[in-house]
Amino acid sequence: MAEATITTGWRKWLESVGEQGVFFMRFVRNLFAGGFEWNEFVRQCYEIGYRSLTLVGITSFIMGLVLILQLRPTLVGFGAESMLPHTLAVSVIREIGPVITGIICAGKIASSIGAELGSMKVTEQIDAMEVSGANSVQYLVVTRILATSFMIPLLAMIGDLISLVGGFIALNLTDDISLTLYLHKCIAALDYTDYMPALIKTFFFGFAIGFVGCYKGYHSDHGTESVGVAANSAVVTSSLWIFFIDMLVVQVTSLLFYK
Amino acid sequence: MEEVAEKDKAKHAASDQKEVVIEIKGLKKSFGKKQVLKNINLSVKRGENVVILGRSGTGKSVTIQCVVGMLTPDGGTVTVLGQEVEQLNDKELKELRTKIGFLFQSAALYDSMTVRENLEFALKRVMRVTNQSELKKRVKEMLENVGLPDAAEKMPSDLSGGMRKRIGLARTLIVHPEIMLYDEPTTGLDPITSREISQLILDMQRKYKTTSIIITHDMDCARVVSDRVLIMDDGEYKAEGSFDELSKSKDELVKSYFI
Repeated sequence: MAEATITTGWRKWLESVGEQGVFFMRFVRNLFAGGFEWNEFVRQCYEIGYRSLTLVGITSFIMGLVLILQLRPTLVGFGAESMLPHTLAVSVIREIGPVITGIICAGKIASSIGAELGSMKVTEQIDAMEVSGANSVQYLVVTRILATSFMIPLLAMIGDLISLVGGFIALNLTDDISLTLYLHKCIAALDYTDYMPALIKTFFFGFAIGFVGCYKGYHSDHGTESVGVAANSAVVTSSLWIFFIDMLVVQVTSLLFYK
Repeated sequence: MEEVAEKDKAKHAASDQKEVVIEIKGLKKSFGKKQVLKNINLSVKRGENVVILGRSGTGKSVTIQCVVGMLTPDGGTVTVLGQEVEQLNDKELKELRTKIGFLFQSAALYDSMTVRENLEFALKRVMRVTNQSELKKRVKEMLENVGLPDAAEKMPSDLSGGMRKRIGLARTLIVHPEIMLYDEPTTGLDPITSREISQLILDMQRKYKTTSIIITHDMDCARVVSDRVLIMDDGEYKAEGSFDELSKSKDELVKSYFI
């Protein structure tokens, strides 16, 4: 009985992997098929990018502020409080900024895409597009995946800057540092091996968020319950993908730049 | 405004009135262990309105979903406008679908778009109509045809059930399909609105000379729109004839529909 359940579980998992492969190929085929939906792409960029800016901004600001407040006692213990801007800049740009933005967007955007497409599937709107002869993948999937892939890096960059602003304010609560010196220390701490891998991984975070959201929504079963399942599953799966991609990129970056 | 309809009328009238446009032979379809369609044979001639009656779950909707290629049959063949549906590749199937209109039970309006955008969706993407004045003209004509001339800027959520059905019908007819498939067009509507929708279906069929298959439980609708009625039970057709012929039938199953 237990063996049968495990076998069924594995089979379902393998089927799902296969379906995702097919879905990815459909995305790629439609990406280069012509007739790109520019208006829908711009609308999605607005929905995904602009509408997430406040949330990403607030979270990033708090992260920058809290990181300085948490790091300060430790570094003061070593007499290294002058290293605070340096430490903050490296940790925010390399790791915390992209991952926090990715996770927030997974929660907000992947769930929204999963629920929207799931609801369209359940109410036969996707079927209606298909039977009219229109290309639903090009209209719904390609635009959303591209919008997340371009907007998440942009949001992460803005989030990083806001984190540094939060850090500057936190530093000035306890110490006294000018903006010029603070910026100088932050910029001096960074080179392209810090921000380039971070930028590249946010592109993959965005792709994962868009792809998982679209896949889960597009493959909802018929029934209102499946809309909730699609949204929930989109968040969980895309969050896991973010950590997995992060681990992979850090490994590759370490091999390439920090031998 | 009448030009487009007249052009269409002439195009359809030019075809042989006796031409078979939908030919279903030995159609079989199962879902898991349940065989929904056992052996369906059906010929629909150009300009004919065929109503399929039957209890819920007898496979009526599955039949028309096979006609439009949404479902793949397990056995038998479906030939539409001389093309065997299962043998078509993606491009050919899309091409065929531009000649078939499908009105869903729920109308399946795209709920993130206005009525105008709903109507323009397939026009822009499938019929490649890009001229703004032509788009406006066709939307205006269709909305007048379905008796909702002022609904263009409304959202689907602002419409009543009957209005949604009318807009769904307008969206389907705007591309001037040769074949119309109606999946329970009057379900969930009050008797007066049901009668109006039934009359509208008949008026549109006369105006655009479409060939139709109508799935319904509504005997009033069947009486108004049908040239021929088929009664389906247990995955097979059990009776066939005009509405008047069947209403006089002594068969217990047939009689049960006309009580």
